[in-house]
Amino acid sequence: MRRFFDAELETFRSHLILMGETAVRQVRDALRALVEGDSALARSVIVADDELDTLEVKIDNEAVRFMNLRAPIASDLRLVIVGMKAGHDLERVGDEASNIAKRAIKLSAEPPLKPYVDIPRMTEITMEMLRDALDCLLQGDEAKALAVCKRDVEVDNLNRQVYRELTSFMVENPETISRAIELMFISKSIERIADHATNIAEETIFLFRGKDVRHTDEVKKVGPAVA
Amino acid sequence: METNPPKTVASPAAPNPPAAAVADPIIDIQNLDFYYGQNRALDDITLQIQEKKVAALIGPSGCGKSTLLRCLNRMNDLIDGTRIGRGTVRIHRVDIHQPDVDVIELRRRVGMVFQKSNPFPKSIYENITYGLRIAGIRNRSQLDEVVERSLRGAALWDEVKDRLHDSGIGLSGGQQQRLCIARAIAVEPEIILMDEPCSALDPLATAKVEELIHELKQKYTIVIVTHNMQQAARVSDHTAFFYLGRLIEYDETRTIFMNPSNPQTEAYVSGRFG
Amino acid sequence: MPDAAPSHVFQRRSTVVRRQEALLAWLFRGATYLVLLCGALLLGNIVWRGSQTVFIPRPPFVNVAFLTQAPESLYVFEYQGKKMELGDQAFRQFKAEHHLADIKAESYVYSAGGIFPNIVGTVLLVVGSMAIALFLGVSAAVYLNEYARQGRFITMIRLAILNLAGVPSIVFGLFGFGLFVIFLGWNVSLLAGWFTLAFMVLPVIITASEESLKAVPRGFREGSLALGATKWQTIYKNVLPYALPGILTSSILGIARVAGETAPIMFTAAYVVRDKLPWEGLARWTDFFFQGVMALPYHIYVVSSKIPQNEYTERVQYGAAFVFLLIVALIATTSILLRNKLRNRYKW
Repeated sequence: MRRFFDAELETFRSHLILMGETAVRQVRDALRALVEGDSALARSVIVADDELDTLEVKIDNEAVRFMNLRAPIASDLRLVIVGMKAGHDLERVGDEASNIAKRAIKLSAEPPLKPYVDIPRMTEITMEMLRDALDCLLQGDEAKALAVCKRDVEVDNLNRQVYRELTSFMVENPETISRAIELMFISKSIERIADHATNIAEETIFLFRGKDVRHTDEVKKVGPAVA
Repeated sequence: METNPPKTVASPAAPNPPAAAVADPIIDIQNLDFYYGQNRALDDITLQIQEKKVAALIGPSGCGKSTLLRCLNRMNDLIDGTRIGRGTVRIHRVDIHQPDVDVIELRRRVGMVFQKSNPFPKSIYENITYGLRIAGIRNRSQLDEVVERSLRGAALWDEVKDRLHDSGIGLSGGQQQRLCIARAIAVEPEIILMDEPCSALDPLATAKVEELIHELKQKYTIVIVTHNMQQAARVSDHTAFFYLGRLIEYDETRTIFMNPSNPQTEAYVSGRFG
Repeated sequence: MPDAAPSHVFQRRSTVVRRQEALLAWLFRGATYLVLLCGALLLGNIVWRGSQTVFIPRPPFVNVAFLTQAPESLYVFEYQGKKMELGDQAFRQFKAEHHLADIKAESYVYSAGGIFPNIVGTVLLVVGSMAIALFLGVSAAVYLNEYARQGRFITMIRLAILNLAGVPSIVFGLFGFGLFVIFLGWNVSLLAGWFTLAFMVLPVIITASEESLKAVPRGFREGSLALGATKWQTIYKNVLPYALPGILTSSILGIARVAGETAPIMFTAAYVVRDKLPWEGLARWTDFFFQGVMALPYHIYVVSSKIPQNEYTERVQYGAAFVFLLIVALIATTSILLRNKLRNRYKW
């Protein structure tokens, strides 16, 4: 049976979807701006971050209103709670993308340090994770969500690899230090984005299973930590 | 766009077994069928209720929850043409339908509070002592003591202690219902059955009665039928969801309201039931 | 120029429906007043003519003789140019005193004396038959409403009881005659009259009692049973007291009927004339129940149709009718007072 306020839930979901798509686009554009040295693109990413901020506020307001007036129970309640949390995670993703774009502008003023290998690789995995997490939010594929959680370790490993490479670069060529540091920050941002994707995946499991799996063995990262 | 993603859990047809078979349930219903004439009102109900806990029975109108409640103190015997098809209802491990059961004693031990409060048009004092008088207790001081104890137990003493001999029907709706609760506990039952006790009360009176239920469960086992989701969530330890005479799901209240296993339960508690 | 009052949204208008409404209201009013008028004429006539017999201009203002003596014949004669009317005993006394052995006098049967035995008989018949009728009727109503399994059989019983209400009272009289007087051998007696009258009024009592019991809310019964009361305890403490006012109201109707019926008592309990009151001349006290009595309605019937009519018999007729109304009113008032007292005590 359809209730007269089911439309509000649908609007809420559509805002969440929109936010997800926007965040993914922001990350992709920020990385392209970095790789291609496109400052104009980078600037558009920074400006577009406002969209994500506005959406987060909208989602929070809708969630609070819905809880107040409609007294949701069971899956409706979980949807609203997860929506709020995912909205927050996506807003942070947008902020990280914005940071990458800012640093990309700085880096575009100088010649690239070295061919970018690891960072694009990290980006690819992270974007897949983000897309998968958002897919799960809408479709409820628990197995996929768990897979996202487990992939986070790959991104962590790549991040550490980037640090090692850049550190040895900086030791050998002190004049590259400022560029290297920017890149290290960028790598860190990508790693943070992957963490947020993992959070969204965990929230998805809560949404569909009704069980909070954060910090449990199920989602603990597997695979050897690269020394 | 679906607002509820499809679940990969239990099929809707099979009712869920009780959450955990309780060691020594005070009420033990096994495979109960109940008929109004040719009409089957209850279909294979298996349910175990724990002592000194509150069990809520929820479900849409006509699902059989009130019928089940009335089976527990055999008030259905008063209606012509009703019968148990198969199955048993055991209270304290005794089958309450076996021939040597004294129905009068059963009804003393299993008290009932009705949906429409029915204080007798006698004084408050006489209302409370009614159950004792019919059992033959006439000692004035004993009756006085029971009246005070019962009214205190029903959180009504302070409001009526100066007018015990005023008519019971002169009280407000919430007070009347608490009077009926006091009347029920005066005979010292073990189980109290409540059939939508708050449905005719305003929110303040409802809150008082719910508060009372919370206190009462320290001494009595309570089974409450309610239409109000929030009330079931606030008041009960276990919740049973009925639909068309079948028990669909029975579990801890926390689970039923946070994450029910059966999609029909989910639809009902969320208010999506047509 | 004064403005006509402007009409507004709720302005009253004369329409067919509204005229119809007014017409019907007057129709109902008229019907009620017609009934009142006829009733007033009837009662007024009896009260006016009857009080001429029952009340006298001199103290003690009440014709005590009329109320305390048995019926006698009236003798009308002339003595020393005066017209005199004397009852039987007084006439004999008069003749003895004035040594008039053969004075010519016209005699009118039952036109002198009083109606005391009749009053006694009617009161006894009413009290006894109502007691039996209430006991049997309320018991039957309790059974039908509280204990019996509702179904086709019970419906048929109810139908039979209703049919009984339509049986002519003369048929009841014959029934009573056949069963109580002849078959059970009670002869013409109080007992036969009691039972005959009781059966006649039973349908009204049962039906009204059932309605009163039905009016008591189910919640009273359920609440009582849920506390561990037996069925009888529930009825006795929580249902009957609240149904009593209704039951008593039905008894008022019953009293009026029982007091006024002639046909049932004609064959079963009433004598035209009986020289003894029912408690006089008994061998054992139980013989009291087997005595016949004189009764007011029967007396009125006899005086009105079995003897020649004249001004003297008219006096007795109206006097007896008036006294009869007073007695019924008295018993009914008592019943109403009792009902009101019970209603206040068992208010719900």
